[in-house]
Amino acid sequence: MRETPKSRIALDAIKAWKLIGILIAAALWLVSIIGMILYYFWGFPIWIVASIGAISAICTYLFIFLVPKLRWKKWRYEILEQEIYIQHGILITTRTLVPMIRVQHVDTKQGPILKKYRLASVTISTAASTHEIPALLEEDASDLRDRISALARVDEDDV
Amino acid sequence: MSNKVRRLHPVAILFKLAKSLKEIIFYIIISFLTLRDNGFFLLGLSIFLSILLIHSILSWYRFTYRIKEDELQINEGIFIRKKRYISKNRIQSINLTENVVHQLFRLVNVQIETASGGNDAEANLKAVNREEGHRIREAFKSKGNEITDVELLTDYEEGEKGSVYTISANRLFIAGTTSGSLGVLLAIIGFLVSEFAQFIPDGLYDSVVTWIVGLSIMLMIGFVIIILIFFWVLGVVGTILKYWKFTITKTGDELYIKRGLLDKKQTTIPIHRIQAVGLKEGLLRQPFGFVTLYVEVAGSAIEKGEDYSTVLFPILKKGEVQAFLMDLLPEYSLLSNEEMKSLPKRSLKYYLIRSTILFLLIGLAVLYFVPALSWYLIPFFLLLLLLGYFRYKDAGFYIEGQHLLIRFRRLSKTTILLPARRIQAMENKQHFFHKKELLETIMFSIIGGQGMGKHYKLKEIETTDAEVLRKWFSNHKNNKKPGSAGAGPKK
Repeated sequence: MRETPKSRIALDAIKAWKLIGILIAAALWLVSIIGMILYYFWGFPIWIVASIGAISAICTYLFIFLVPKLRWKKWRYEILEQEIYIQHGILITTRTLVPMIRVQHVDTKQGPILKKYRLASVTISTAASTHEIPALLEEDASDLRDRISALARVDEDDV
Repeated sequence: MSNKVRRLHPVAILFKLAKSLKEIIFYIIISFLTLRDNGFFLLGLSIFLSILLIHSILSWYRFTYRIKEDELQINEGIFIRKKRYISKNRIQSINLTENVVHQLFRLVNVQIETASGGNDAEANLKAVNREEGHRIREAFKSKGNEITDVELLTDYEEGEKGSVYTISANRLFIAGTTSGSLGVLLAIIGFLVSEFAQFIPDGLYDSVVTWIVGLSIMLMIGFVIIILIFFWVLGVVGTILKYWKFTITKTGDELYIKRGLLDKKQTTIPIHRIQAVGLKEGLLRQPFGFVTLYVEVAGSAIEKGEDYSTVLFPILKKGEVQAFLMDLLPEYSLLSNEEMKSLPKRSLKYYLIRSTILFLLIGLAVLYFVPALSWYLIPFFLLLLLLGYFRYKDAGFYIEGQHLLIRFRRLSKTTILLPARRIQAMENKQHFFHKKELLETIMFSIIGGQGMGKHYKLKEIETTDAEVLRKWFSNHKNNKKPGSAGAGPKK
């Protein structure tokens, strides 16, 4: 069995994902509160409200406390001279191999949440697929992008 | 060759007009229905149609093309001028098609495909003279084709040498008969079910109901037979129209395909643009040993019917595949290989569950409300179980040198040959239960039609086998950087 890739993504990824989790949970709780108001004033069926509340509680736990940490723990990547090796997934482990000469272009991307923590993600595209390494430190992301792009710069086979 | 600026044949105006009319005919009908009593309606309509006509004429007038030094240059647009230059090196395939109108005026429609995505061809010359169409194709053929081949291309009726294959009338008929896999299959299932219904215990119905049911069963059987015949005729006619005089010719490093009765199509595929070659054994064809050969060519949006792949030959006996490929695509002759590394016994359950789970859930829900239906559902369930078993049994892979052979079944049994240098990425997936049982799901991506990825999966193979595949893919010299073969200078 081939060993797992060496590099991990930025530790702050957990914070960023937690923030996303908080936003999702907040939206869910908002729905629950609306449900409670409906129940209190207009006699909306209690079991619906209760199940929304239960779902909110479970999601709060999952998306804020459990998933971000596990996800970070399971995320590994390694940029070799000849290929890119990525492994991730909590329940389903996915391992991806991309030969360097198949890489068409590399992008870095940064949304508002990643920006807050000075993170960025790197997207690697081949002619048939795209692969993302999420949440690297800004400098690391741009270094990685430049490195892959340099490694990938070879006379390509005609498509 | 002259590289002066040219226009399309004026018939193109007609096509343009017809196309715009088709887009708005609905609104015209609506306005006709609401405004027909209004005297101004006809006036308005005729003004509107004149504008359309003028627009069509202008856009024909403003559409010019020329061939200049390995480049096709197109200028178009009435107000917004658009220039599009396509260099010869980027052309994936050139298709010449003729519909009935084209044939009337001895014209062709030239579609030029590059690797980029999208539904439409990158360049489309809607109507040019046949000679002009052939001239354009000649101009953009890859290098290395001797001029003597031109003879063969323009006079393709008679096959000389061994590199021309034409479908026989007999085979065309067989292809049609066995084409409607799904429809015919459904009809057969329906027929079986209606047969099955006769075994419903009598006690369930009183005599009147039984009589009605009996009558309706007779009706149903008749109906099913009619549907069967309908699908069969449809399949035969459709296939004959599509693959009439299907001829494939190898000239130099290109494959040239010509086919069709009403819509004549001519496709040129540069061999070095082929991403993968596949062999499909349809449900109805497999028992008779017939297969369909197809190729994956990047960016070809022409062949929409068959998963965006291009048919290489519609019907062949399994035994003929080897010789056919040796002649036309020797690099891919491994495709006819029968030997496969198949899956371990412990993956069978996943296949059975996958093929039946959806039906089981829906079926249980249906049974809960209409228990009497159980007799109808059981045969379907057994068929799905059987399908799952065959999916398991047919799945497998085989490695030889730089080629990987993958076999799997959805409905049809499909074998696909992937050269290592065409595989863009490899992915392995493993969930919790897989990990315990040392199973893995693998996926290979290649460039498919429409410039998008095409993915081939093999589910639940041995982890050790997945490791073998990973090593093969990762260590392959064609996936390494320079110095290795295959990486020629960039054009």
